[in-house]
Amino acid sequence: MPSETVVTKEISYLDAITRALRDELQDDPSVFVMGQDIAEYGGAFKATRGFLAEFGPHRMVNTPISESGTIGMAVGAAMLGRRPVVEMQFADFISCGFNQVVNVAAKMFWRTGRPVPMVIRCPTGGGAGAGAFHSQCVEAWFLHTPGLKVVAPAWPSDAYALLRAAIRDPNPVLFFEHKHLYRRVKQSAESFEAARREAVIGSARIVRSGEDVTVIAYGWMTHTSLEAAEVVSRDGISVEVVDLRSLAPMDEGLILESIRRTGRAVIVHEACFTGGFGGEIAARIGEKAFEFLDGPIRRIAYPDHPVPYHRGLEAASIPSVERIADVIRDLRRW
Amino acid sequence: MHFFLRLAREWDLRFERLVRLGAVSKWYSSVGNEGVTVAAATAIEAGDALISLHRDSGAILRHYLDAGRLFPDLFPAVSQRRASQVEPRGILYRLACQMLGKANGFSAGRERSYHYSHFDEGAGIIHVGMISHLGAMIPVAAGLALAFKQRGSDRVAVNFVGEGGTSTGDFHEGLNMAAVLRVPFILIIENNGYAFSTPAREQYASQTLAERGAAYGIPGVRVDGCDVVRVHEEVARAVSRARRGEGPTLIEAVVGRMRGHSEGDDSIQLLDAAERQRHERSDPLARFERSLLEVGAATQKYLDDIAKCCAELIVETVDSAMKAPDPVPETPLGGIYAE
Repeated sequence: MPSETVVTKEISYLDAITRALRDELQDDPSVFVMGQDIAEYGGAFKATRGFLAEFGPHRMVNTPISESGTIGMAVGAAMLGRRPVVEMQFADFISCGFNQVVNVAAKMFWRTGRPVPMVIRCPTGGGAGAGAFHSQCVEAWFLHTPGLKVVAPAWPSDAYALLRAAIRDPNPVLFFEHKHLYRRVKQSAESFEAARREAVIGSARIVRSGEDVTVIAYGWMTHTSLEAAEVVSRDGISVEVVDLRSLAPMDEGLILESIRRTGRAVIVHEACFTGGFGGEIAARIGEKAFEFLDGPIRRIAYPDHPVPYHRGLEAASIPSVERIADVIRDLRRW
Repeated sequence: MHFFLRLAREWDLRFERLVRLGAVSKWYSSVGNEGVTVAAATAIEAGDALISLHRDSGAILRHYLDAGRLFPDLFPAVSQRRASQVEPRGILYRLACQMLGKANGFSAGRERSYHYSHFDEGAGIIHVGMISHLGAMIPVAAGLALAFKQRGSDRVAVNFVGEGGTSTGDFHEGLNMAAVLRVPFILIIENNGYAFSTPAREQYASQTLAERGAAYGIPGVRVDGCDVVRVHEEVARAVSRARRGEGPTLIEAVVGRMRGHSEGDDSIQLLDAAERQRHERSDPLARFERSLLEVGAATQKYLDDIAKCCAELIVETVDSAMKAPDPVPETPLGGIYAE
C-alpha cells in the first residue's frame, strides 16, 4: 500500500533482503552465498555486510569475476543438496552466465529428475544514471525458458518472504530485486511482520482495489502505477493495481479475475516493449477474457533502445506517473 | 582393468554395428578412448562423482559395474568398494535402454544417449552426464566438488572434456574457480587431436594443454592415454591430492583418433592413411593385451574367453533393450518443476 512508504520505524527493501538471507543461513546449514565481493566487502550493495564474520568463508564464498563459472558451480553444489544463493553484482551481468542458467540449471530437473535448489539474486533496473550495462531489466530472457522460477518483489515484506521461499524452493529461482527500491521503499515493523507471511511464489496481490481499470505491474513499476492510480482518482477514475510479484509461475487467475471486473487492462513494465512480459500477459487476457474487455489492452514499457547514461535521457524513457495516468484516462473513455 | 577395456570396446562395437544396420540413428564412438576412461574410473571409489561426456562409456561401465558380480566364475573376488548394491545386469540394461531412448532408460526417453544423470547415493553412484554445449559441465563438476568440500567429505569429482572443449570460456572459469577455491576436482582432457573436423593446431597455439595447469596454479600432467597403467597412476595421484585437500589437477591424456566425430559422418576421412594407421596402432586395448601376454599375466585363451563373454553380454543386453517399451507422452519423470 502507498501508506507503507511513509512510516517511522522502518524496514527497507534492502534490509528485508539482508534479513531473509541471514534467517535462511541461520536456519539451514546447507545454504551458502556465492558472488563477487560478497564476503569481506559485504556485496556491491552491502546486502551481506557482516556475514563473513557471522557465517565464515565456507558459507560466504567470494568468487572471481566468473558469472558462468559461479552459476555452474552453484548448479553442481545444488545437485548434491546444497542451497547456493548466487549474487549477480548487477542483473545485467547474468548474460555472461546465460548458458548455465537456461541450458544447465533450467533443464536439469526435467532431463534428469535431480532437483537444483538454487537462487540467483539479480539487482535489476534503472533510475540511477548507470548506463546501458548496470540498468537493464532482463527478466524476459528467462521467462521464455521453462524450468526457471522468476520473482520480482516490490515491497520489503514480499522481498523477505519471496527470497526465503526462493531459497527453500527445489528449483532454480531468479530473484529480480530492484535497485531503485533498496533504500526508498520502507515498511513499518508492524506492517512488515503482518505482510511477510502472505507472499508465496506464484501469487500476485491486489495492492489497490478499483472498479474501472486494472493496472498490472511488478517491481518499481508497481509503485509508479500506484501513484498514477492516485492521480487519476482525482478525475473520478477507480483503478485496481495488481502487483505480480512472481512472473514465473504467474498468477493468471488473479489477473483474469480482476480484468473480468474492470473490463480494462493496462500492463506496465520497465523492461523493453518488444518481447517484454507485457505481451504474454496481454495475449492471455485476449485469449481468456476477451468478452469482458471494454477497450484495447494497453502496454506501457521502456522504448526499444538501450538505457542511456544521462539521467535526463534515462528518465524520459522509464514509464512515468504521467504517462501511465494518460493511458488510464484514455482507456477509461472506451 | 582389462575386463572393462574389453567390455567398453564390445559396447561400442555393438552400437556401431546397429548404426550400420540402420537400427540406431547416431553414435559417438569411444573406441580408442577406453585407455583413459577405464583407467580413470578405476582410480575413483564409490561416492566419488563422475561427470562424463560422449566418449566415456568406459568410465561409466567401470564405475557402475562389478566384474565379480557379472561373472563370478571368471572373477571370484567381489570388490567391496564399488557400487556393491547394484545389480549389474539390471543397470547395464537400463544403460542400454538409455542409449536407445527407451522408457526404461535413466531419462525415460527425454534425453539422448549420454546426456543423462544417475544418482544412487546409497550405492555410491553420483554420475552427471553432459549437455551438448561442450565445456559447460566443467563448472558444474567443480560445484559437485565444492559440495563435497563443504560437507567435510573426502570425495572427489572427476570430469572429462575433449581438447575442443578446452577452448570454451567455461573451461577457464571452471578450472580457475576450482583452483582458487581449492576443491577436490580432477579434469581429464581426452585429446584425440580433432574436434569434429578441426585439428588441434587450429584449436590452441600452446605446445600442450597440460601446461595450462601452471597458469591456474595447479599441477598439469600430460600422459599417453593409450597406456592404461600410466593413466591410472596419474589419476590415482591426482585423486589422492584432492582427497588430502590439495585441490584440483589437470590431466591431458593423448589418445588416438580411431573413429570420426560420429558414426556415419565422414570426418575420419580427413586423416590420411598413414595417420589413420598410426592411430590404429595406438589402440589401448590391443596394447594392454600385448603387454599382458608378454609378461605372462594372461594367456591368449583367457583373453579370448573374456572377449567372448563380454561380447555375449553386450549383444544380449542391447538386443533385449531394443525390444524394450518405448516411452509414451504420459511417461512420468516429473514436470518442469521439482515439487
